[in-house]
Amino acid sequence: MTTRRIVLAGVLGVAVVLGLWELYVRVFDVRRFILLAPSTIVREIWDHPRFYLDATLVTARHSAIGIGIGLVVAVPIGAALASSRFLEQAAQPVLIGVLVAPWIAYFTSIVLWLGPGDPPVIFLVAFVTTPAFVFATVAGMRSADPAARELLASVDARRVEVLWRLRLPAALPTILAAARYNLGLALAAAFYAEGGNQSTEGLGAAGRRAIGQNAEVLWATILCTAALGALFLAALSLLERLVLRWHVSQRTRARARVT
Amino acid sequence: MLVTTPGAWWRPASRRSRSLDGRSKATAPEAEHHPSVRSAAVSATIAVTGVTKSFGDLAALAPINLDVAGGEIVTVLGPSGSGKTTLLRIVGGLDEPSSGSVTVDGASPHVARAAKRIGFVPQSPALLPWRTVGANAKLLLDVNRKHGGAHARRASVVELLAEVGLDGFADAYPHELSGGMQQRVALVRAMALGAPLLLMDEPFAALDEITRADMRHLLARLCEQLATTVLFVTHSIAESVFISDRVVVLSARPGRVVGIEAIDLPRPRHAELEDDPAFFAIETRLRGLLHAGAGR
Repeated sequence: MTTRRIVLAGVLGVAVVLGLWELYVRVFDVRRFILLAPSTIVREIWDHPRFYLDATLVTARHSAIGIGIGLVVAVPIGAALASSRFLEQAAQPVLIGVLVAPWIAYFTSIVLWLGPGDPPVIFLVAFVTTPAFVFATVAGMRSADPAARELLASVDARRVEVLWRLRLPAALPTILAAARYNLGLALAAAFYAEGGNQSTEGLGAAGRRAIGQNAEVLWATILCTAALGALFLAALSLLERLVLRWHVSQRTRARARVT
Repeated sequence: MLVTTPGAWWRPASRRSRSLDGRSKATAPEAEHHPSVRSAAVSATIAVTGVTKSFGDLAALAPINLDVAGGEIVTVLGPSGSGKTTLLRIVGGLDEPSSGSVTVDGASPHVARAAKRIGFVPQSPALLPWRTVGANAKLLLDVNRKHGGAHARRASVVELLAEVGLDGFADAYPHELSGGMQQRVALVRAMALGAPLLLMDEPFAALDEITRADMRHLLARLCEQLATTVLFVTHSIAESVFISDRVVVLSARPGRVVGIEAIDLPRPRHAELEDDPAFFAIETRLRGLLHAGAGR
């Protein structure tokens, strides 16, 4: 599928959903405090573009830095766990615990620990995105071709060489697949943490202030967060095309040179 | 059972060609050797002494004794499960024998491995899909660049790729190649190392018959150009006869040497040799040894 067709398909999907949504609100005359029509939300953003752009950039920064830290922390942990079944088994309950623990239960402690401002937001994003990256790293590194491992062993390759030349590249597809999941998680965590942290900006903070007072602003922040997610996913797809051009998932248009 | 190898007479340092009438004549190495492989490292000797291998209660190898002279091409032939690959892995230092010892040039296989004196060709090409053909061919050269193997004189990857008919494919990715072409890259990867010992573990097993025949002809040609010692594992009789100087036949599990056949066929060997009565005669003898080893 060409890039143009991919973009067209995405735009078409969003347009259909927004159209049905708009139709539903208008036909059934849904009350404002239950659901706003997309046209109303878009008009709110259209009327205050600077405000929403600034808030979106703050949330984008929180999410990107947080997910980046999560990845940097997760890869060495995943590499260590991939080398030892015992370590992996020992770490599983902790990682699952991080994944399922409700943010509301511990976010206040993070704010008290790290203080106000960006750090608690970035910490939460990094914290919740780490487990999925760890799982992906372990699975990807374990999937490295055993024959290739043996080949490297035949020249006595050091562990770091095996990691760099074989295990890490082999794990890239699963790490990037986990990144798709983590992008949504990161945005949700950033939105939540910005709202829960009284001393930062961002879509979450604006949305939190609007709850119960201004439905247009609340829904506008949600729409901006969704748009940011779509933008992140598009960037990730581009990255996948660049770094995974050898992988079967990116070879839909590639034809074998020799059969 | 002690199997001793004839010494240097069997495979002189400069490989000899021999006409079908049996008269030997020394080839002029410079005339036949491709420039890319002329500078390959010298050959290695292998000594396998009383090697056994068990996996729990399962005995894979009965005591094996085998000496391989420098520059010799020896094939280990046997039925599935006879321990051929296990023996190869032990020689390559990838597995430990349960008893007995192996030396490569008088040192342990681990020393040879660390010094990049062993080029390994696994059963599957094991190409890294994210590296181009050229980068895959250089993989073993890139590994531990600062740690060993510095003494080996490496052949040019580009020239070796051309030698196996892959010129123009250096920038291609493995998925763009056929199975036979991928296996040729695997051969180049091992040969580019310039190692004095090549270990090949049924490298053509997954190929179709026509490609497989092409590959054994190519391998024989490459081996004739090199002075490298080759230990080749296969269950194909034709492959073993065409490539080798000697064929070691293993019995069914636990693998033991049931016979050794010297392949006294002329070199360089060409595809037509497979239609020669002498070729058929050796195949028949080897088939008999295989059946004897299987207890039939």
